[in-house]
Amino acid sequence: MQMFLTLLVNGLIIGGIYGLIALGYSLIYRASGLMSFVQGDMVTVGAYLGITFYVVLNLPILVSLILTFACSFLLGMILEKGVIRNLLKKNVMPIYVVLSTIAISYIIQNTAQAFYGSTAQTFPQVFSKPTLTIFGITAQTEAYVCLLLSVVMMVVLHFFMTKTRFGTAMRSSAMDPLAAESCGINTSLSTGITWGLAASIAALAGMMLGPMYGVYTTLGSTIGRKGFAGAVVGGYGNMYGAMVGGMILGLAETFVSGYVDATYRNQLAYIILILFLFIKPTGIFNEKAIQDV
Amino acid sequence: MLETKNVTIKFGGLTAVNNVTMQVRPGKITALIGPNGAGKTTLFNCISGVYTPNSGEVILDGQHLEGKMGYKINAAGIARTYQVINLFWNMTVLENVLVGMHSRLKANFWDSLFNTKKKRQEEKAIVEKAHEWLKFVGLDEYANDRAGSLSYGKQRLLEIVRGLASEPKVILLDEPAAGMNTTEKAELDSLLQQILSMGYTILVVEHDMKLIMNISDYIYVLCQGSLLAEGTPEEIQNNPEVIAAYLGGDE
Amino acid sequence: MNNSILKKKVPLGILIAVLLIAVPFLIQLVFGTEYGVMIACIILIYTIAVSGLDLLFGYSGQISMGHAAFFVIGAYTSGLLNNYFNIPLWLTIPAGALLSCGLGALLAWPASKLKFHFLSLATIAFGEIVYYFLYVSPGGFTGDYLGISVVTIPFLGGSYTRWYFFLLFFTVIALVLKHFLVHSRTGRAFQAIRENTHAANGMGVNVRKNKIIAFAVSAFYTGFAGAVYVHLLRYIAPSTGQQKQSVLFLTMLLFGGTASMVGPIIGVVIIEILLELIRPLQEYQMLLYGILLLIVIVALPGGIYGGIKDLIVSIKRKKAAKQLTKK
Repeated sequence: MQMFLTLLVNGLIIGGIYGLIALGYSLIYRASGLMSFVQGDMVTVGAYLGITFYVVLNLPILVSLILTFACSFLLGMILEKGVIRNLLKKNVMPIYVVLSTIAISYIIQNTAQAFYGSTAQTFPQVFSKPTLTIFGITAQTEAYVCLLLSVVMMVVLHFFMTKTRFGTAMRSSAMDPLAAESCGINTSLSTGITWGLAASIAALAGMMLGPMYGVYTTLGSTIGRKGFAGAVVGGYGNMYGAMVGGMILGLAETFVSGYVDATYRNQLAYIILILFLFIKPTGIFNEKAIQDV
Repeated sequence: MLETKNVTIKFGGLTAVNNVTMQVRPGKITALIGPNGAGKTTLFNCISGVYTPNSGEVILDGQHLEGKMGYKINAAGIARTYQVINLFWNMTVLENVLVGMHSRLKANFWDSLFNTKKKRQEEKAIVEKAHEWLKFVGLDEYANDRAGSLSYGKQRLLEIVRGLASEPKVILLDEPAAGMNTTEKAELDSLLQQILSMGYTILVVEHDMKLIMNISDYIYVLCQGSLLAEGTPEEIQNNPEVIAAYLGGDE
Repeated sequence: MNNSILKKKVPLGILIAVLLIAVPFLIQLVFGTEYGVMIACIILIYTIAVSGLDLLFGYSGQISMGHAAFFVIGAYTSGLLNNYFNIPLWLTIPAGALLSCGLGALLAWPASKLKFHFLSLATIAFGEIVYYFLYVSPGGFTGDYLGISVVTIPFLGGSYTRWYFFLLFFTVIALVLKHFLVHSRTGRAFQAIRENTHAANGMGVNVRKNKIIAFAVSAFYTGFAGAVYVHLLRYIAPSTGQQKQSVLFLTMLLFGGTASMVGPIIGVVIIEILLELIRPLQEYQMLLYGILLLIVIVALPGGIYGGIKDLIVSIKRKKAAKQLTKK
């Protein structure tokens, strides 16, 4: 029972992270009909930004958090405005746009390596109390905070998207850009903001992961693909599906490595991804984004 | 020849085509007209296999086509053009016509890979044939240009010969005159007559009433998914319901 | 007209043939070692692999970001058959290519239904699964994460020059077959699918079947390349199946130019030589791929070959325009 609960909490924690990243994929898909490989690397960027602000510049954690959010938001917007939009304007085939995000992803990884070196860095303890015991389950304090933060962010995003004027604008310009434009919505701005938001969510996830996993340049690319798998499991393009899918993936991963075999921990996500793509491509929430012919 | 029997197509709760029965007469031009959103293109897509009808039949010379994949319907003898031009933009004009012949070719994968005599002979023959088709619509001088580099009117012509290249029993033309000027329309008129004289059968969707009344032998009028009227151009022109639908129908 | 083209082309063909035959001797003359000849051998192998990828991505428009998996499947099959059963390499090489081809078809059967970005992830996942399988090596039958050595190479000995001619022969065959395939009913079907799946379907092309064929042929090419590679280097490791290698193939293809005979060759030659030159900076290989890819996508969508072609066309146009004004 104790083991079960520990695994459950661990699964939810990592699942929450996957969910946040999956959410980013879904947002981007809704806004531009594309997928971005940079999404995973924003996790890395977030973690390194966190180190830079919190450790190198010695700023308070909350300020570091806000700065990380702001910087990555800007990066996401620049990516959309500077590269993606220009390519789309040039009528480049969509597959090339996706390839360009892969290219940028490698550039980010190597730039991070040039700046911070190729060895993993440790993100120092944020809280004075290293571990926390809730309901008899002991875990890193950051892990609990991470779980709490992912849930909070999901709730906040839900309200932002459904209850605020801006969220409505974003959703409508994703659904039908022409119609939204004619209603006076600045679709170009809202697409940019969507990409910014997707990036900053991932960056925050990265900053939260830092104290648990350590920070290294390929931190994000693996986790990014798991987030993608989560998005597919939930139903690609569906916001709630993304969160649910991410959670499911996190739980599956922890339970399988806990009870069965940890050897294939990292492969499980790929196997689940392939199974869903091939057998149930519409995911749990039945989004029809995936099929071609 | 080609006929639809009680074809109904629904999208969710919306009935796009409701119980439509029509016959395409061999060697003639049959037209399908109606106000915007009447379901003409939907019916076209159903005949050519893009959609499967919820009920009803599509029959070509006794062969049931409903629910078949598009490529099988093409092989059965139906070719089509599209409302929004759908050429293979980065292939040459000639290659576009050659792709049109796809379902008539005998060379299989292994013939292709090992360049067998069968394939070489066939290729030689079809390239010649394709040039003839291009000459027929006056595009032969562009044979080796990218299809995307053609002017709009020429793209329409290429799409028509690409369809004809499969030597179909019926060719479906979806708004062939869209975006054409008066001269081009007149040329299209005579082109369609030439196609008829070669023994093909045409089913056409068109908005240009003047053109339609000129060229068609028989007209079906669709309105809100249902068949409103059918008859010769004269009968349709004098049908009060049709007139009401067109004048009263808020397009 | 026709005659003059023939006259021009025949000497050019002979020139190229002579050059290709001279390559290993020139390299040894200039550098004095056989190492350069080995690089030439690898260039030939990669040319086959990337040409295969071109059939898939360049011609039929399907992305694969896990093509290195087919490369290592070919390599391991070929190497292990040799190690365990002592089967000669003229049998293990086709066996490797065929297994790769079969797995490619198997993967494509469901994957051919996916839109491109999902296909890219599905192929990444496939690549990672293959890589990790070889890395963990259940039961140890594929060696371990360090890879396997392949021992017996009876008739090619240690001479890379002999290897070079052996590989040149197969590269030429691979390219000729690719040429035949591209200029055929099947090849046109591939391109029609790339351009517009709906219209291809409407023109009588069985889209799924042809997508699967493209995948299978592509996997055969890349698997074949891998199957030869293992005997050339006498060694293969799981790391060759990593995504990095898949991206290398893609970068070579895009940089050289897709959907052409020459493009993959140009890409492979330039990038392989570039990689040799920056060997000390190996850590930053991926940065090179990233930058090259981005340059190609943003500034040179047809790759080097496409760029050269466009240049020639525009020069010809200018000439024609000049002649017109003269008249």
